[in-house]
Amino acid sequence: MTDRGGAVAAATGAEALSTELPVGRPTSWWGMVMFVATEATLFACLLGSYFYLRFQYGPQWPPPGIEDPKLLKPLVMTAILLPSSLPVMWAEHGIRHGQRWRLNLGMAATFVMGTSFLVLQGTEYDEKLHMFTLTSNAYGSLFFVITGFHGLHVLVGLSMIGWLLVASLRGGSFGAHRHDRVRNVAIYWHFVDTVWVAILFTIYLSPRL
Amino acid sequence: MSVQPGPRVRLAGGLLLWYGVLGGAVAWAVHVLAAWSLDELACAAGSDHVSGIPLWQALGVAVLVPALAALGSLLVAALVWQRTARARSAGTDNPALGRSRMLAVVGIWANLLFLAIIVLGGVAVLVFPPCQR
Amino acid sequence: MSTTTSTAGGIDRDDLARLAEHWDEPRSLRAWFTTVDHKKIGRRYLVTAGFFFALAGLSALVMRTQLARPEAGVLSPDEYNQLFTMHGTAMIFLFATPMLFGFGNFLVPLMIGSRDMAFPRLNAFGYWVFLFAGLFMWASLPFGAAPNNGWFAYAPLNQEQHNPGLHMDVYALGLLFLGISTTSGAINFIVTALKLRAPGMSLNRVPLFVWAIVATAFMVVFALPALNADNAMLFLDRRFGTHFFDPGGGGNVLLWQHLFWIFGHPDVYIIVMPGLGIVSAVLPAFTRRGVVGYPLIVLAIVAISIVSFGVWVHHMFATGLPQLSYSFFSAASTIITIPSGIQIFAWLATMLLGRLVLRTPLLFVIGFIVTFVLGGFTGAMFALTPFDQQVTDSYFVVAHFHYVLLGGALFPILAGIYYWLPKITGRMYHEGLARWAFWLFFIGMHVTFFPMHLIGLFGMPRRVYTYRGGLGWDVGNLISTIGAYLLAVSLLLTLIGVVHAVRRGRPAPADPWEGDTLEWSAASPPEPYNFPVIPRVHSLHPTWDERTAESTTTGATEDRILSEGRRTLFTSELDARSERAAEMPEPSFKPLVLAGALLVFFISMLLAWYPIAIAAVVTVAATLAAWLWPVRRPDEELGVAS
Ligand code: HEM
Ligand SMILES: [Cu+2]
Repeated sequence: MTDRGGAVAAATGAEALSTELPVGRPTSWWGMVMFVATEATLFACLLGSYFYLRFQYGPQWPPPGIEDPKLLKPLVMTAILLPSSLPVMWAEHGIRHGQRWRLNLGMAATFVMGTSFLVLQGTEYDEKLHMFTLTSNAYGSLFFVITGFHGLHVLVGLSMIGWLLVASLRGGSFGAHRHDRVRNVAIYWHFVDTVWVAILFTIYLSPRL
Repeated sequence: MSVQPGPRVRLAGGLLLWYGVLGGAVAWAVHVLAAWSLDELACAAGSDHVSGIPLWQALGVAVLVPALAALGSLLVAALVWQRTARARSAGTDNPALGRSRMLAVVGIWANLLFLAIIVLGGVAVLVFPPCQR
Repeated sequence: MSTTTSTAGGIDRDDLARLAEHWDEPRSLRAWFTTVDHKKIGRRYLVTAGFFFALAGLSALVMRTQLARPEAGVLSPDEYNQLFTMHGTAMIFLFATPMLFGFGNFLVPLMIGSRDMAFPRLNAFGYWVFLFAGLFMWASLPFGAAPNNGWFAYAPLNQEQHNPGLHMDVYALGLLFLGISTTSGAINFIVTALKLRAPGMSLNRVPLFVWAIVATAFMVVFALPALNADNAMLFLDRRFGTHFFDPGGGGNVLLWQHLFWIFGHPDVYIIVMPGLGIVSAVLPAFTRRGVVGYPLIVLAIVAISIVSFGVWVHHMFATGLPQLSYSFFSAASTIITIPSGIQIFAWLATMLLGRLVLRTPLLFVIGFIVTFVLGGFTGAMFALTPFDQQVTDSYFVVAHFHYVLLGGALFPILAGIYYWLPKITGRMYHEGLARWAFWLFFIGMHVTFFPMHLIGLFGMPRRVYTYRGGLGWDVGNLISTIGAYLLAVSLLLTLIGVVHAVRRGRPAPADPWEGDTLEWSAASPPEPYNFPVIPRVHSLHPTWDERTAESTTTGATEDRILSEGRRTLFTSELDARSERAAEMPEPSFKPLVLAGALLVFFISMLLAWYPIAIAAVVTVAATLAAWLWPVRRPDEELGVAS
């Protein structure tokens, strides 16, 4: 008891309360975080628009003639995209210890996973296009614009990863003292992953609720 | 003063300070989003119940919980203000104290403002029937 | 370069020579296109925004000429539509915000004691994008293809079937293009203010102007995406047949309105907030004391920028929300007036307690307070719902928001121009001329916009290209037009004053007003490296403070001179403790190339040349890849475990 009391007292002491937090982040980290913040807001607006149009639309959603989205493929896509953050993390930790091979290997793994996600999304589109298109109705517009916009982000993320990989393979780019770019790409990639979860929920799961 | 606080304690202290500064703002944001979407969605669905609970009670929760969070934030800000004042008069020469003290002042007033907004929302819940247009 | 700072104490001539060698840019065409100096970029922002202001102002003058008497034939209805839309859109997006960003660009690094912005090349890029986006939008006017649907472009009138032609495509694409500049500029401000403050400038010593700019930047980061999403959907609706705003296809016109005002209400504060920051920056110099209640003003800035996100629904009175939902928002709308009031009272107290020095910048500040308070008063009248419904979309509204916008943005901007002109150009302006400009402006402003309240109450709707005589609107309109010409004359006098100062003005000392913030410790105009010695800040008013001054002379230390290379100091986020010296980027063509490629992209999207658009995207990607490409370094330096 006294021990915990002591900890509380310490944490509420003037010294502890004046701890500098956040501290010591590089400028590029802040730049990337703010960029991701504004991008996340953009996605929030898009998903908000989805719900707004859905609730204004009326009782049947998706509109008549369109079935509820099937879940198998998007779940497989999720199972590929979400874990793709792990190699990025592994690579980032590697380069912090100066292990360039881990950077290369991890980035390559993520690149493959991200690409498979996009390929699957292509086949998913192929199926959907038989049922509805961008111009069929608001549902179609929302579906293709939101998932397409996310797909675009995956593509951008993949370009970043490919670019990192090329720079790293050239040599003389990254090491224990220089890995800001790796960290920033990692932040972006984690963001792209996280957004997908929100999209999965909105587009695929919420119509079944 | 006694020994320098350890890293865990420092982390807790730093987070506590930010709770004191921004807690009210976050609580208010949660309050607006929750109360508004509850009201809007329930009324659009033509019912004044949310999964069995009367709508006005659900809205009451969306007022009370954020209000308590803002109140807590207010208390923390006041605490920081008081502690830094004491440390200063005790002559501790740490430039960070001036900074956390200013943040505490900002926090106190900000929390009062946000608390006021949330409370006004609570009054509205008591006054208006939830779905009247 | 003009002046040299005295070389006492810890800094010697060799240091100065090295600093000059690393930071000076030659006077060449190449240097003009490649510069990354925040002062030059800031100046360009100011001049370019001033140019767009002139265009928007001339549009207003033409409109007022048309409205001077009933049934005039200066403009066709269609031309009038384009003019008022371009006037509003340009004033808001191409003038107010970029102008204030221009002040921010020039001043923030100087005020926080840094040698540049955190991302100098991004800064240059932001300027080029702003310039191109502005030209992109204005260029549509001579083709008769300018936006014509009002500055908030409501659906369904913004849809292809109701509004064919390129008008609203220009609007959507132009604002998306501009958004890139605004967002990158905002992020740059935030990071600069977090990481580049001079050592010792903890959060409680940050100048109020910098607080205001940072708060504005945060609002941009979180508000602009709503507008961007809106415009992207609009363009898709118009060009590619989606149905976001089309009720026929299951869309909803109110979606446009909601998203627009989620952006639009914070945008009012995005416009006004830096203006308020200018006021807080100008006052100390002309009252000979710090602004009263520093923490309260910081509170007001922070609180306003947060609450401004929670009030958008008040723009949508007539949309059938449940009353209860509405009251959650009106609670916020009511409370937001408290921090605004706090600021006004703090300024008044500052003036009461200080010793007033009545120079032109202070005159404009006083003009600001009068005008802004009047605008706030008519704003409070809208809170009465029946009154609001009565005057909505009448000239009363036009009068109200011009009081707020001219009061909250234009008066402070003019105050800022006169106040910082000596710092920016190194020359003093002519005080007599400036006073004439002020009085003409003040009178012209009220002569133009006060009568609009009345003709609004008499029922004249806004956005009409003409009106019938004998409805009681004639006299008011004529007076208003005369006022507009007075305004034009006063602004011309300001322009003449600036040109005169640059050409003939007396050379300005480093600190003509005895100001309190750090920019007055730098030379006028500042050296390319701003500060020979980065100061160590000991108080909220560093230039009035002996110890801070001493830190740049006898107390100068090597870690703050940093003359080996193009370097500045990074410090910690909250308490500004020294972290490390950082190498700053050299001038580069890439920002211009990138912005140019984006211009090609937006033009080809507008004209539906999609293959070219794709080529432009590839260029953008390649430029970015080259821009961020890491320099090759030896493995020992990188720290590679083999
Ligand atoms: C400098 C002198 C100015 C004059 C003479 C002037 C005059 C006018 C006139 C005549 C209109 C059109 C009213 C209508 O037909 O409905 C108008 C609209 C507008 N003005 Fe100004 N204005 C001036 C400055 C400004 C400034 C500085 C701003 C903003 C920073 C501004 C923002 C607007 C906006 C947003 C609109 C609404 C456009 C719309 O209806 O879509 N104006 N102004
Ligand atoms: Cu508003």
